[in-house]
Amino acid sequence: MTATLKNILTGKNSRQGLWILPLIIVVIGFVSLSVSTEDFATSQNLSNLLKQAMPLIIVAIGQMIVILLGGMDLSVGSMISLTTALLAIDAPAVVTIPLVVVAAVMVGFINGFSVVRLNVHPIIATLSMQFIVLGVAKLIRPVAGGSVPEFLVQWVNGTIFGVSTVFLWTPIVILIGWKLIHGSRYGLHLFAIGGGAAEGQEDAAHNFGISDRRNIIVAYICSALFAALAGAFLAGRIASGDPNVGTIFALDSVTAVAIGGTQLSGGIGGLHGTLIGALLMALLSNGMNLANLSAFLQGSIKGGILLLVVALQSRKKMGL
Amino acid sequence: MNSLIKLTNISKSFGNNQAVDDVTLELNSGSVHALMGENGAGKSTLMKILAGVHQPDVGSISRAGEVVSLTSPKLALDFGISTVFQELSLLPNLTIAENMFLGREPKRSFGMIDTKLMESQTKAALAELGLTLNPSTLVSELTIAERQFVEIAHGIKADVNIFILDEPTAALNAADVGMLNKHIRRMKDEGKAIVYISHRMDEIFDICDTVTVMKDGQHVATKSLSDMTPDSLIAMMVGRELEDLFPERSDAQGACLLEVKHFKLTSVSQPLSLKVHKGEIVALAGLEGQGQREIVRSLIGQHIPFGGTVRVKDHEISLPVAANNGIRQMSALGLGFVPEDRKDEGLFLNLPIADNITIGLHSTEGGLAPARKYREVIADTIKSMAIKTSSANASVASLSGGNQQKVLLGRYFASDVDLLVIEEPTRGVDIGAKAEIYKLLRQFTENGGGVLVLSRETIELIGLCDRILVIHDQTIVSEMVAADATEHNILDAALSSGSDATGSV
Repeated sequence: MTATLKNILTGKNSRQGLWILPLIIVVIGFVSLSVSTEDFATSQNLSNLLKQAMPLIIVAIGQMIVILLGGMDLSVGSMISLTTALLAIDAPAVVTIPLVVVAAVMVGFINGFSVVRLNVHPIIATLSMQFIVLGVAKLIRPVAGGSVPEFLVQWVNGTIFGVSTVFLWTPIVILIGWKLIHGSRYGLHLFAIGGGAAEGQEDAAHNFGISDRRNIIVAYICSALFAALAGAFLAGRIASGDPNVGTIFALDSVTAVAIGGTQLSGGIGGLHGTLIGALLMALLSNGMNLANLSAFLQGSIKGGILLLVVALQSRKKMGL
Repeated sequence: MNSLIKLTNISKSFGNNQAVDDVTLELNSGSVHALMGENGAGKSTLMKILAGVHQPDVGSISRAGEVVSLTSPKLALDFGISTVFQELSLLPNLTIAENMFLGREPKRSFGMIDTKLMESQTKAALAELGLTLNPSTLVSELTIAERQFVEIAHGIKADVNIFILDEPTAALNAADVGMLNKHIRRMKDEGKAIVYISHRMDEIFDICDTVTVMKDGQHVATKSLSDMTPDSLIAMMVGRELEDLFPERSDAQGACLLEVKHFKLTSVSQPLSLKVHKGEIVALAGLEGQGQREIVRSLIGQHIPFGGTVRVKDHEISLPVAANNGIRQMSALGLGFVPEDRKDEGLFLNLPIADNITIGLHSTEGGLAPARKYREVIADTIKSMAIKTSSANASVASLSGGNQQKVLLGRYFASDVDLLVIEEPTRGVDIGAKAEIYKLLRQFTENGGGVLVLSRETIELIGLCDRILVIHDQTIVSEMVAADATEHNILDAALSSGSDATGSV
């Protein structure tokens, strides 16, 4: 038992990586904010906190799927912006929503195709895609504005049985993510492909009879779909389209995933870690806002925490 | 006995290297078929073709007269061919059970993986091999031998009828091997076909019934093992005449250039010592993976051994040296290194011949010193080494393998190196260039240099070198004068375990 405990504490010899440390930071932050700030532990602020965290949680789950393979998806930010822009065009929801899904599948497919067929490095492939998609989003909606379907606004901001709907959506999204990553053969194959990549044996999983190329393309499509979902959530929250609203999510999602103990080389990570990472980031900005900290300083603190948490991971490579 | 699968006239080449050349092999039900040959004889390539990893250039695979196509590992597995490869390919971030079932995981409701079923079946499979590992352990936590066993357990599946075991016992001790053999016999009784690749003679005679010998990618013979003795088998593996491509040896032997003492590769390996004199070519021989490569790389400062001392001319260095300046330190003492993989480790393929030659000279100068052109040196080197090229500015990539190797040697001949350490001096080089390279190396020693060679080609060791040191299990088990050595007794020494070996143990 002590060995298991040690593994959890150090993130060593565990496939989930080091997630306990960010959890401790989240708990400390939560407790100290509840004690120090009167406004923090109100249900109003907590549902606000979750609403703030929600888009990041969604997009980070998609990002994590790609990172587990040893890849990275920098196009998610633009995909979010494109989603809000598409939802705000002057057309009924039966047109705009399928449009968003088709766009996401296309973006994800091109990302995956570039990586596995054209042999472009994931960062370059998705960085290119980021520019391409952002351009399209700005073409559709050069400045923030327009209006999104009314039911979307209701779904995001409304209440159900007197409770904010965000408390309903959060478990559903987490369940989908958990099913994909930890509750299916597909998820196990993600870990297998990423584990081979991290070990420098790119075709290890292939030799077990796993169709790695198809799985990688599917992963990028999942990532784009999660980004689209995050975009829909954001569009509902701001009730309009905005071509710049997604930009920060590209790197914020990578940050959340990395803070949560997922290894960027692939093969190691857990959904709970990613949730903790996303929550930590939301908590940081919420707490620092309550403490009236300069927005510029907030960015620096976020960077500092990322560096600290990743540096403390005892295992830089798998199997050591 | 009925035939399970037949490979007909298979050929496969990688670049200029003909790995498998027109080989026909038939595997029969209820037979353990040994596949033997020296390193690089093409055994592994042939088996990878059967396992769907490589595709043959020529030839076909058939069962009962019907041609089958094995274009991927999955197709081969579906066809009932299972492989335990020499190199470990388990995924370290998955558990034993997940590795065992990867790609064919059992599902329960809602598409969930049936972990319980996986783990109970894994436990049973491991228990059959005498292992009591917890199936939910991550593979990264296992020892090499345990991993090897998991790999074997993974390969031994009920619904498979052809097993390829490529040196399955390399990491196992005698008791483990006994357990494995019991299994192989059981599979044989069940009517399956097993291909067994091993360098351990006793194992071959213990469990195999048929043997196929390969040499230089070609099929030599297929015989029943009851008609063979270990000696006749070795003779079949070696069987060829020394070709007339080696230069005369010279008797001149000068001062000691390199002396290695109390060298231990790892904390548990037996210490070894060796000397290289002026005018001498010394070889390290042995089977694949016995530590010879690491020993050589320790001497040039790239690998970190456990300890020992190295004396280069008058400088004594105690090992291990600091990891990041070992190579500089050794090359400053006049040690040149020609790596086996000249394209990745030796040459700058896209740079001109001239730059590849002078880089050795430039590296001795200060970082900010103006780079001299060394035009005469380049012209001299190209001329004296007979490098066939239109211009010194042609890129090295445009040259043939033999000429590339000459450029790499020329780099060290042009700078003041007097001790050359060479891995595989003639890998991927045609026969004419081989003879030229041998002559150049001999010239180098006659001019007062010394050479330490690592080669898989036994014939090259005998023809080119003065002394041969046979490595087994990270130490020198036998030393012989090359003029008196035969392929037979080198292989014999390399195959023998430390106990019955001659020489210094």
